[in-house]
Amino acid sequence: MTRQRTAALGFFLVLLTLVLAPPATSQAPQASQTPKSGGVLNMMLREDLAQGFAIHETATISTVWPAMPCLNNLVLFDPLKKTESEDTIIGELAEKWSWQDNRRNLVFFLRKGVKWHDDQPFTSKDVKFTFDMLREAADAPAKLRINPRKDWYANIEAVETPDAHTVAFRLKKPQPSLLLMLASGYTPVYAAHVPPASYRTGCVGTGPFKLKEWRKGEFVELVKNPDYFVKGRPYLDGLKYFPIVERGTRQAALQAGKLDVSFPGETTKTAAEQLKNAVPQLVVTPYNQNVSDNIIMNVKKPPFDNPKVRLAVSHAIDRRALVGAVHQGGAVVGAALAPKPWGFWGLGEKDLLGLPGYAAKPADEKAKAKKLMAEVGYSPEKPLKVEIVTRAIAIYVDMASFVINELKQVGIDAALKQIETAQWHAMATRGDYQIGANLTGIGPDDPDANFFENYACGSPRNYSQYCSEEVMKMIDAQSQELDPKKRLGMVYAIQKKLEADAARPILDWKLDYFTVWPHVKNLIPHQSIYNFGRMQEVWIDK
Amino acid sequence: MKTYIAQRLAIAVLTLLGMSIVIFALLRLAPGDIVDILFSTAGYVSPAEKQALMKELGIDRPYWAQYLDWLRQIVTGDLGKSYRYDLPAWPIIRPLLPVTLELAALSMVFAILLGVPTGVVSAVRQDSPLDYVLRVVSLAGLSMPAFWLGMVIILGLVTWFRWIPPLTYVSPTESLKLHAVQFLLPALAVGYRSSALIMRITRSSLLEVLREDYIRTARAKGQSGPVVVWRHALKNAMLPVVTVIGIEFAFLIGGLVVTETVFNLPGVARFLVQAILWRDYPVVQNLVMFIAIVVILSNLLVDMLYGVLDPRVRYGS
Repeated sequence: MTRQRTAALGFFLVLLTLVLAPPATSQAPQASQTPKSGGVLNMMLREDLAQGFAIHETATISTVWPAMPCLNNLVLFDPLKKTESEDTIIGELAEKWSWQDNRRNLVFFLRKGVKWHDDQPFTSKDVKFTFDMLREAADAPAKLRINPRKDWYANIEAVETPDAHTVAFRLKKPQPSLLLMLASGYTPVYAAHVPPASYRTGCVGTGPFKLKEWRKGEFVELVKNPDYFVKGRPYLDGLKYFPIVERGTRQAALQAGKLDVSFPGETTKTAAEQLKNAVPQLVVTPYNQNVSDNIIMNVKKPPFDNPKVRLAVSHAIDRRALVGAVHQGGAVVGAALAPKPWGFWGLGEKDLLGLPGYAAKPADEKAKAKKLMAEVGYSPEKPLKVEIVTRAIAIYVDMASFVINELKQVGIDAALKQIETAQWHAMATRGDYQIGANLTGIGPDDPDANFFENYACGSPRNYSQYCSEEVMKMIDAQSQELDPKKRLGMVYAIQKKLEADAARPILDWKLDYFTVWPHVKNLIPHQSIYNFGRMQEVWIDK
Repeated sequence: MKTYIAQRLAIAVLTLLGMSIVIFALLRLAPGDIVDILFSTAGYVSPAEKQALMKELGIDRPYWAQYLDWLRQIVTGDLGKSYRYDLPAWPIIRPLLPVTLELAALSMVFAILLGVPTGVVSAVRQDSPLDYVLRVVSLAGLSMPAFWLGMVIILGLVTWFRWIPPLTYVSPTESLKLHAVQFLLPALAVGYRSSALIMRITRSSLLEVLREDYIRTARAKGQSGPVVVWRHALKNAMLPVVTVIGIEFAFLIGGLVVTETVFNLPGVARFLVQAILWRDYPVVQNLVMFIAIVVILSNLLVDMLYGVLDPRVRYGS
């Protein structure tokens, strides 16, 4: 594209935005109390940073949580609002944005005067660099050695930069969800002038905090970015993250006041109750981790290539009993997406009742499972012998043990095989298993992020290898649907179909009991653990 | 003595060479590698990307080439690059070493200071109420794993004082008081178990010596009880005790893993476990070699102490 054409496109896009689209605007979120500046927030990590600050090369909260304050997105879910939806998205590096051409183009108007932590100016080049690298464009100037969310950007045809402060994402087809995925903590903008590999050892960001020191295995220290582009932010002088491997020590450190905040996704209901009993002034907020317990069944191998056996498994497992026994009530029953009020898209209790395994009377479900097993020639007296795999981690093993007991009652004798973390994903991706007890975490609470990743034909994370042409069409259709109400209905229908096919029976959605000291303000857990770690709005009332 | 030490050092080099083969082989036998772990953190696996990453890290080469490379690195003082951190291994390992050595040494000092005197008292007052009390205390020490005791200490502190030791390493120059507290508590947890073993060995060894003829002779000649025990008996009873101390110290280095984890001390042992979980070969290989060197040196020291303690034991003559 020539410079003239680029400039013309830029002018046209700006004009179109001003005329047609009421632009969404970025704003500093309103706080309920008058915030105070200063202080250092002390936080825990359950392990040292998995891949430094290289968010784009991992899919773990261990990286996202301490790396988010150093970086910025184009847009972000409002840190002060619990709910994550298109309505709660605010601008970060993008000052305004606009959907155009019936949602075929998403145009961002970038902030001016933003600087990277090494004083280089931030421009549209950085945005193009990041997203061309993520979608692995043919002419991308850099490549990630591991790219876990490439599928999120499969619908982007081109990233155009008409000028230094305008970026246009040209899409192959309309995709309202793209904006939500861009608002996830998993979607920061990298600097074009530093190699992507350097984020594994350091962090050149535009974020509210700069990396001061990372002493391996000991602490990560970030300090306030005095040149941050949002005036008056951040409130805190610094952040300090301490990797503490032992859960008991983490809890003791929080209880002793050495730490101010728990780690997202790590505080169970029981642990929170213990903490609250010990220190009544602690503030506990239950929220959705956006992590589900689910059963993966290899549809390419016997016996789970038989839909009747898969359905029997789904009918056999009493979800509500699992929530009570394994999670002590610290989880909720739901289908492929988290139910309200913990999520936005999930099926409600009424809709769930008609689906396999969700009926109010577990005995009825067990009877249905037995009947299905009898049809394929098995019974509790003459059981089907299978091997159930799970990760050699307590939360997986607890769930698997419960499932084994449930399956036994309907004529499936499952022997537990624990797989080391190092081998788990490789084994699951290869399909080298019969049935597995699995946990799945989703970045944003969004149908596209979930469906394309976990249910689409050929996706490496579709561990069951379930592939239905009908479901793919439904997923594609909802992805392009512009009417939010209609889309919600379509998403409901997909979830019902997935459960009816026992594609990957969802057992529950885990809740986290985020615990903070009362002096910590504006650190509000969202509907997903991955999206509220920016710390820009957090302040300490001491 | 010099010849003996030279011989032992030569054997030590051969032992270390053997150890290096064992360490290298065991690590490769463990299922999975760093590439599997990295993909695990990403939640997917791509065979093509996996191959490229293995090539980047050099773990696609034949094992013998990787082994020779490691030996060459040890000889040249270059410990390679940590796979997990993407940084040279030595600057990562270096600050961990003094933490573990200090903790091990303090634990041992504590164990000796507690174990030897109580063992002596227990032997001298054999079958008295005090002996029974001390034996129960030592049995409790042997029965309680150090990590459990460590956790009890932490929970006790947080429950009663709402306080726990610092979460990061505090150097003595920064604050001697905090540094001492940070190390004394875990040293207490670890040293208590070792002291129990030392106490029992001291007691049984001393009881045996106290029944010897020369002890009876010394007493018959009118020497006081404490002189007989501390000057004549204890020195001869110390050989098995020194052996146990040597073995305990060697085990301690590896055994500090859980204590360092519970007290969140940034030492070698805790780091080693994390490195193993990440299959960070360069870090694991070099840390295990470090532990092997400590074990060999502590054994050498014990052997030399034999000569000092027992005039009958003379080397090189």
